[in-house]
Amino acid sequence: MKVSKWSERLFGTPLFDPVVTTSFLFPLLYLVAFLIIPVLAMLAIAFQYNGQFSLHWFTSLASDYYISFHPEGEFYKLITMPTGEQVYYIQGWDFGVILNSLLVSISVMILTTILGTVFAFVMARYDFPGKDIVRILLFVPLLVTPFVNVFIVKKMFLPAGLINWVFHDILHIFPHPIWIDGLVGVIVAQTLTYYPIVYLNAYASFINIDPTLEEQAENLGSGGLHLFRTVTFPLALPGIAAGATLVGIFSLEDLAAPIVFQGNGLARKLMSFQIYSAFTSGFNVGSPQLAALALIMLTIAIMMFLGIRKYVSLRQYAMLSKGGRWKPRVAKPKPWQAFLIYFVVLPVLFLSIFPQIGVVLLAFSEQWGDTTWPSGFTLKHIQSIITQPDIERVIINSVMYSTVAIVVIILLSLTASYASSRFKKSKLGPVLDSLSTIPIAVPGIVIAMSYFFFFAKVFPDTPLDPTNLLGFNPAMVLILAYSIRRLPFAARSISAGIQQVHISLEEVALNLGASRWKALTGILIPLILLNLLGGAMLSFVYCMSETSVGITLGSINPEYYPITARMVELITGSVGGTHLTAALGVFLMVVQIIAIVLANVITKQRYSFIGLT
Amino acid sequence: MVDVKLENIVKTFGETVALKGIDLHIKAGELFTLLGPSGCGKSTTLRIIAGLDFPDSGTIYFGDQEVTYLPSSKRGAVLVFQNYALWPHMTVFDNVAYGLKLRKLPKDEIKKKVEWALELIKLEGFADRYPTQLSGGQQQRVAIARALVVEPKVLLLDEPLSNLDAKLRLEMRSEIRRIQRELGITVIYVTHDQEEAMAISDRIAVMNVGTVEQVGTPKEIYETPKTEFVASFMGKTNVIPAKVVERNGDRVSVEFEDIRLDGLYYTGESDDVVVVIRPERIRLKPIENAVSFTGTVDLIEYYGFFVEVVGLFGDTRIIARTISDREIAGLKPLQQVTFYVERDDVIVLPKQQL
Ligand SMILES: Nc1ncnc2c1ncn2[C@@H]1O[C@H](COP(=O)(O)OP(=O)(O)OP(=O)(O)O)[C@@H](O)[C@H]1O
Ligand SMILES: [Mg+2]
Repeated sequence: MKVSKWSERLFGTPLFDPVVTTSFLFPLLYLVAFLIIPVLAMLAIAFQYNGQFSLHWFTSLASDYYISFHPEGEFYKLITMPTGEQVYYIQGWDFGVILNSLLVSISVMILTTILGTVFAFVMARYDFPGKDIVRILLFVPLLVTPFVNVFIVKKMFLPAGLINWVFHDILHIFPHPIWIDGLVGVIVAQTLTYYPIVYLNAYASFINIDPTLEEQAENLGSGGLHLFRTVTFPLALPGIAAGATLVGIFSLEDLAAPIVFQGNGLARKLMSFQIYSAFTSGFNVGSPQLAALALIMLTIAIMMFLGIRKYVSLRQYAMLSKGGRWKPRVAKPKPWQAFLIYFVVLPVLFLSIFPQIGVVLLAFSEQWGDTTWPSGFTLKHIQSIITQPDIERVIINSVMYSTVAIVVIILLSLTASYASSRFKKSKLGPVLDSLSTIPIAVPGIVIAMSYFFFFAKVFPDTPLDPTNLLGFNPAMVLILAYSIRRLPFAARSISAGIQQVHISLEEVALNLGASRWKALTGILIPLILLNLLGGAMLSFVYCMSETSVGITLGSINPEYYPITARMVELITGSVGGTHLTAALGVFLMVVQIIAIVLANVITKQRYSFIGLT
Repeated sequence: MVDVKLENIVKTFGETVALKGIDLHIKAGELFTLLGPSGCGKSTTLRIIAGLDFPDSGTIYFGDQEVTYLPSSKRGAVLVFQNYALWPHMTVFDNVAYGLKLRKLPKDEIKKKVEWALELIKLEGFADRYPTQLSGGQQQRVAIARALVVEPKVLLLDEPLSNLDAKLRLEMRSEIRRIQRELGITVIYVTHDQEEAMAISDRIAVMNVGTVEQVGTPKEIYETPKTEFVASFMGKTNVIPAKVVERNGDRVSVEFEDIRLDGLYYTGESDDVVVVIRPERIRLKPIENAVSFTGTVDLIEYYGFFVEVVGLFGDTRIIARTISDREIAGLKPLQQVTFYVERDDVIVLPKQQL
């Protein structure tokens, strides 16, 4: 066999090998074809005006509608309800679409950081009666129920909602009931939805701090807040910041909250919603101005992503620790700390899981109007999951799309992780690495929009052309979108698995005469089978609940709706639709619980669902 | 500088009794070593002295002050961890200055003291580096500087050399000794390496599963071990199970294999004993006032500056060590050989359940 310089440079091995080459080229070409090129296609449109290169569409965004430094309206006002009751109506200021998105994202980052860090610190450092229950409760907000959980959050903060019931009616803390809506509503909903991401990252960071680092500080005279400020927090900061950034990106691209709060005009003035509403209204989808807006959104998200990657890698404190006993620092809380835990932290936790509880209540109730609690128990909504043909169909569709998508995802992440962690000398390795994690930072709505332009252009008048309203079949497009969007989750699990298998195990096989293919399928894959399964299950769950692409490209033809497309239709549509949406939400929760329990049982490792690094 | 007293310290972790009633008195200004095998409770003892763990019962005094439940931060007994525990997010300077900042010293004084400490450990130019940019030995010295700079009443060192290579270990060993002498502080040092313990310590406490077996100077511990455990832990030695067959005041006769040794000093009660003979105390030529036993040569091992002759006496192997080539000239395996030991160099100890 010939030694080849370019094979060494590209693929990290001087001996040309079809298995290695495929491992590099398959994921690379796939990502280029279905992520990079579509985005570039959109780029081309955004930079084109009258057939020429131009910044026209970007400068056209420089209006008060998009960026305004003189906020209109009042942050909150006292209004009188039809019943005569006075209510604080809180909605936020309008800084224009682009700034609104940024401000919402930043606010959500700050709030989730506070919430997540406090919960994580309490869980990592204190031992208190009931902790095991709290640990389980903390998994509840991780359950994804598109739209309905936001719907419940909205209910919680209505004048007759849970919050006022507690703080106004019972505790009399609020002088008047509050009503949270508009941008503030979006912020609250996103905070409650996304804080577990910061929590998980922060918790892992606190747990991973070598306890002797804190003991040493204590030993030298530190303690309490000083210890936290000088040692604990700085050491956990990279993890917390990574979680917060992820939340920032998710907030930017989130559609559920703006859609549910769209009754208030302010909630519509967000980048993600603007692009989305162009889709649903139909006539404006192809607008280059929206392409420009999408690019701005993409740029912000990618910058956040790259920024945090850089920061975290700079501060990746490989804990210097060598040897010594690992004695976790868990203490009994002092009385005042116990007081805070039981009377502040736990109530807030309960509040934060109420959306999921509310989804269940809504799914099993006859009616839930403008009241604190629902009324009338019924199974009919749950039953309609199997009896109502349209519901049945969307579930079958989603299962089909997701199943095909995870096969692709597994192939992609297996090849990509194998290539980049086994052939480190390759110049393509880092490219592949970045490409397979970057989808986390690409807003779903941007993918939807790019695909719209891309498929309309490349496959006109075929079932792949979204402008071909009657003939369009979104299966292929959705599967592609799912496979790209959910790739990072599986890739992370699988590459962690590959890194745990020492390379010598494969080298022995090669040395004994096995081919690369044999070594891969006979040695490596069996050894990482559990990671593959775990990754597959998580990806499946997240494919099933995928929102952005599902409710845009997926909601063109009812026959091919995925679950989320039907959910958004139900929740924004007729009265009573919310109960059915909640039933679908319950169905998704059950799927998630089963998958996660299975993943944890099978792989015997704790899956932290979402992480960045 | 202060003396440290531990009285009947008991510590359990769930089922395991880590310390079963430790009594120690460490004098002011001495370098005192806790020596013992892995898991015997050395670190636990140190952490209890540092105030990072608290005993189930017992009392600790620093001088006249009882400190048993005084929090670590108020105790002034600074521990240098086995893993150095340098804060990776702080520079060398900030690591060392940490304790001084806590004591609210003025900025320029902090600077002066840190510089002094870095000079002491010979890392003057390294103030702005991060711990990851230091070698193991340098990290270890920073950890020591960080502890020393706050002028601790007691400096506690937990196997500080265990992660270093052999050469650096020797260097650091004398470094620690030098600094301790220079500053005259009380140091409690933990190690499981008997050679290190002997080289560095004023006094040693030998520990075994949660108890202190013997306290003494290195010489005492080595030459007059009080228990079988101490004898066998202190270097390569011959520990031969034997039976007391005759008593005559504080002198006894013991027997192992077919060999009988008379007139040995022993006052213990049990007749089940071990005979402890240091290899270097065995001669191959007759000497005065000696006991002797004859067997065959099993092996001759050449170590460079000394030679070991393994003699086979029945089923018992006994090692003799000599630095004199003349003594073993012409000796070959399977030949007959006689070992001679001065009577007072033969130590008889009660057999221990190890
Ligand atoms: N936090 C703990 N939880 C449970 N058991 C412990 C804990 N710390 C120590 N032990 C037990 O107490 C005993 C003494 O441990 P210690 O760390 O003091 O040993 P050591 O002499 O320092 O050992 P080494 O030389 O390996 O460091 C051991 O049996 C150990 O398993
Ligand atoms: Mg130890």
